[in-house]
Amino acid sequence: MSVHESIEAFARAVADELGPEAVSLSHEVIDRYGEHTLPAPDTKPGAVVYPDSTQAVQTLVRLANRFKVPLFPISNGQNIGLGTRSPVRAGQVVVDLGRRMNKILEVNEKLGYCVIEPGVSFQALYDELRNRDSKLMMSPTAGPVQGSVLANALDKGGGCGAYADHFGMSCGLEIVLGNGEIIRTGDGALAGDQHPNWHVSKYSFGPFLDGLFSQSNFGIVTRMGVWLMPKPPHIEPFFFTFEEDDSLGEVIDLIRPLKQSNFVPTLIRANNELYLLSSGETNPEYAASAGKRTLSDEGRRALRKKHGIGAWTVSGAFYGASQAALAPNIERLRRHFTASGTGRWIPLDEAEQIGPLHIAISSNTGVPTNNELKMLSWRPGGGIIWLSTGLPMLGDMAAQFQREARRICESNGLEYMLSNVCGPRFARGIHSLIYNREDADEARRADACYRQLADFYASHGVFVGRAPTLYQGFHHDQRMSELNDACRAIKQALDPNGVIAPGKYGIA
Amino acid sequence: MPKTITIHREQAVGAAIDKCVHFGFCTAVCPTYVLDAEENDSPRGRIALAKEMLAAGGKPKAATILHLDRCLSCLSCETTCAANVPYREIIDGAREYIEASGARPWTQQAFRTMLAKTLTTPRLLSMANGLARLMPRSMANLPGPIGALAALSTAPAVAALRAREGWESAAPLAAEIGGSSTGASKTGEANSIRRVGLLNGCVQSVLGGEINAAALRLLERAGIAVVELDKGQCCGALELHMGKRRSGAKKSADLVREVSRLLSTGEIEAIVTTTSGCNSVIQHFDEVLADNPELSAEAAKMKAATHDIAVFALELDLPATGAADGACVSYHDACSMTHGLKLTRQPRQLFKQLNFDQRNIAEAHLCCGSAGVYNILQPDISARLGKRKADNASVGDPDVIAAGNLGCLVQISRFTPIPVAHTVQLLDWATGGPPPRGLEGFQPRPLPEPEPVFEAEAPAQESEEAFW
Repeated sequence: MSVHESIEAFARAVADELGPEAVSLSHEVIDRYGEHTLPAPDTKPGAVVYPDSTQAVQTLVRLANRFKVPLFPISNGQNIGLGTRSPVRAGQVVVDLGRRMNKILEVNEKLGYCVIEPGVSFQALYDELRNRDSKLMMSPTAGPVQGSVLANALDKGGGCGAYADHFGMSCGLEIVLGNGEIIRTGDGALAGDQHPNWHVSKYSFGPFLDGLFSQSNFGIVTRMGVWLMPKPPHIEPFFFTFEEDDSLGEVIDLIRPLKQSNFVPTLIRANNELYLLSSGETNPEYAASAGKRTLSDEGRRALRKKHGIGAWTVSGAFYGASQAALAPNIERLRRHFTASGTGRWIPLDEAEQIGPLHIAISSNTGVPTNNELKMLSWRPGGGIIWLSTGLPMLGDMAAQFQREARRICESNGLEYMLSNVCGPRFARGIHSLIYNREDADEARRADACYRQLADFYASHGVFVGRAPTLYQGFHHDQRMSELNDACRAIKQALDPNGVIAPGKYGIA
Repeated sequence: MPKTITIHREQAVGAAIDKCVHFGFCTAVCPTYVLDAEENDSPRGRIALAKEMLAAGGKPKAATILHLDRCLSCLSCETTCAANVPYREIIDGAREYIEASGARPWTQQAFRTMLAKTLTTPRLLSMANGLARLMPRSMANLPGPIGALAALSTAPAVAALRAREGWESAAPLAAEIGGSSTGASKTGEANSIRRVGLLNGCVQSVLGGEINAAALRLLERAGIAVVELDKGQCCGALELHMGKRRSGAKKSADLVREVSRLLSTGEIEAIVTTTSGCNSVIQHFDEVLADNPELSAEAAKMKAATHDIAVFALELDLPATGAADGACVSYHDACSMTHGLKLTRQPRQLFKQLNFDQRNIAEAHLCCGSAGVYNILQPDISARLGKRKADNASVGDPDVIAAGNLGCLVQISRFTPIPVAHTVQLLDWATGGPPPRGLEGFQPRPLPEPEPVFEAEAPAQESEEAFW
């Protein structure tokens, strides 16, 4: 049986067992699920299926094993810049979990958690909490508001606020393994149907398996517990800005003690000006160089002046009883960041007048917003790649990395856009490579830029986190072979026929 | 009737289509895609169909018309789009092409023409509304547009928003403006410094008289002299949305000429609207009137001078009387307000200033299904969206559901027993006007205590260790 025939037979079997509404072979659907923003042709799936329950997912996995058809599960498919809805390899059958499995199964006000299916978006969870007049708040991302909370956590995506480590704040999973078995992790594994600790205790009897299902392809997660923070009476966002590119080292050193002591409860972001301002601007020099050159230093300075910010802008928030109660904290922070004379405080009322800073105000107050992704129109042609590296919270290293990464971007005629998401010891470095996907030369340069940056960081011992589907094999091969062998062995044990997303994160 | 649209319009639509780079953010916020997950009922699907239709030329396929007709023109996709695709231009252009092609069956064409004519002619609409009230209620159960019309005519908001006697103004209407040939009239204090025109809307002047009356009272209370434009003067929006560009643009041009005259003679300094659908089209008059270059300066002047009541009221001194203190308002962002005019903050700020207990509602980005004549022409989809919106808006059992658009209020009222009111009715009520219908028995509630002041001082010195 050819691949095409296998998929058609699989689709017929799905329609028989789950109903015709559970599968699509339509060209329009297949074409659109194949689209992405990466510098390579679209990756069309063989079909798209829409399960409505864990049991339906189990049926799909069983049929995939029977017909030897590879599946590619997605939740809401809003992974823009990382592959969108397209499978890692052409011909895989996309399992669109988000369309019909989008229920919030529980919101526990007393214990502070919710239980969700894959299709629950940040906006839907926000709306649900607001509708319930909940005392809890969620941690949104700066990404698409319709993105999946569950998938973001599984892909180790970050958010805002004190609960920004989304995978860290997940607790208790339900998974359909590649062999078709359903398991519950943590205390949910206890035989019977009473599991009061499933979504409140991360560590239980035996090994902690949840991590196996993040950035992997060993199973399909159909349910997740997510911890939610009690909403503080008042949230006070803050902003500081630094004029020079080379100020990043000082910025990182200033942030470290604030996070290690937990004086500032939220993650702190240190974004460069183009990362921030691109959400409200298009590249003013693009046409002049036909996209071949990076924006000039004069152009960057002009944009900074227009919006009243410097080369690096720091944002975060305090929680407290009232604005007045937090005023001393803001004052301490002001002294801290402005002591050397290079940093400037942007009072909140001033920040509210600077459009690109609204994103941090919304995110830190628990309100999802799409505005950051307006940056995608910085250049025409719809190309974007996210490169997620990182560094220890050491100013010297940050300064060195920014100089070289900036040079690499500029040598490829692209803008250097970086957001440092800073914790106590580590900062995730999110590089946004925006390019014209409809221009073959620019797409080639974007691809080269991504690989050069990844090689540069790897040469200094720095690996990536979340990665675009196009580069997952590349990063897999950067890793020690013994670890890859271990992943392969786990894959063989849990998904012997390799039906779940072969090639995802390089694991096949 | 021309069989195509002009070359420059087609090129403009083509350029707008080419801006789509298929990010796909739009699908998740498109009401029809959210309902049925049909790719051709998503913005990207419709853009692809429009592109194919324009490239092929000739009469569009029935399937193309079906999917383009199902678009609400809510513009939620445009707000979400990261590539800034001007979707409004695409859908308006595609609809214009379909209308000009004559591809619709004659019965459909005739019905659409009759519908547009009736709704934009207050005299005809009054008659139709009167007849509808005589029809048996069971007609609302009929399938298709006739049943939809019957259902709409009996919607609770139609009765709730009808003009009432004796509340038009605190003072009788003043004499007509000398020399005016429009029938425009003014109210307000004779020595008022500020004078504005009030666009009362072709449909709203018949079905939402109380909204216009509330606006008049509010402005008058703030010392603003108001010139009501010719009753029911249409801006063309309704026909433009139906693809009837020629007749719609003619109405737009007539309105621009009239307003331009009032502005240039100093009879008014601004236009105030309570019809956000009209204003969102007025803000695009430069494009609508691109074929009338002689009107470009006047259109630009009118665009700059036209403000939604929620924007205009923010500048006014309107102290709360306490009558509406603590009233719980579930505020629905009409698509024309949030996506068309980008006005979300201003109504909320006003509610806060006037001591309302304002609540946002879930799925604020999704249309209520009213969308001009959509709830007549696409009753099934419209009803599903209307019920969904009403369910979301009713959460928490608010005292009233508010919106800045008549169509939304009529639509939502069909699916909830909670009273509905236009934003301006609530502003009027809180500052001295009558309560909106359904809120007559409301008793003001005590306001929350002010936040206590917390005294604390920062240490004089900071160091890395000091944060402990």
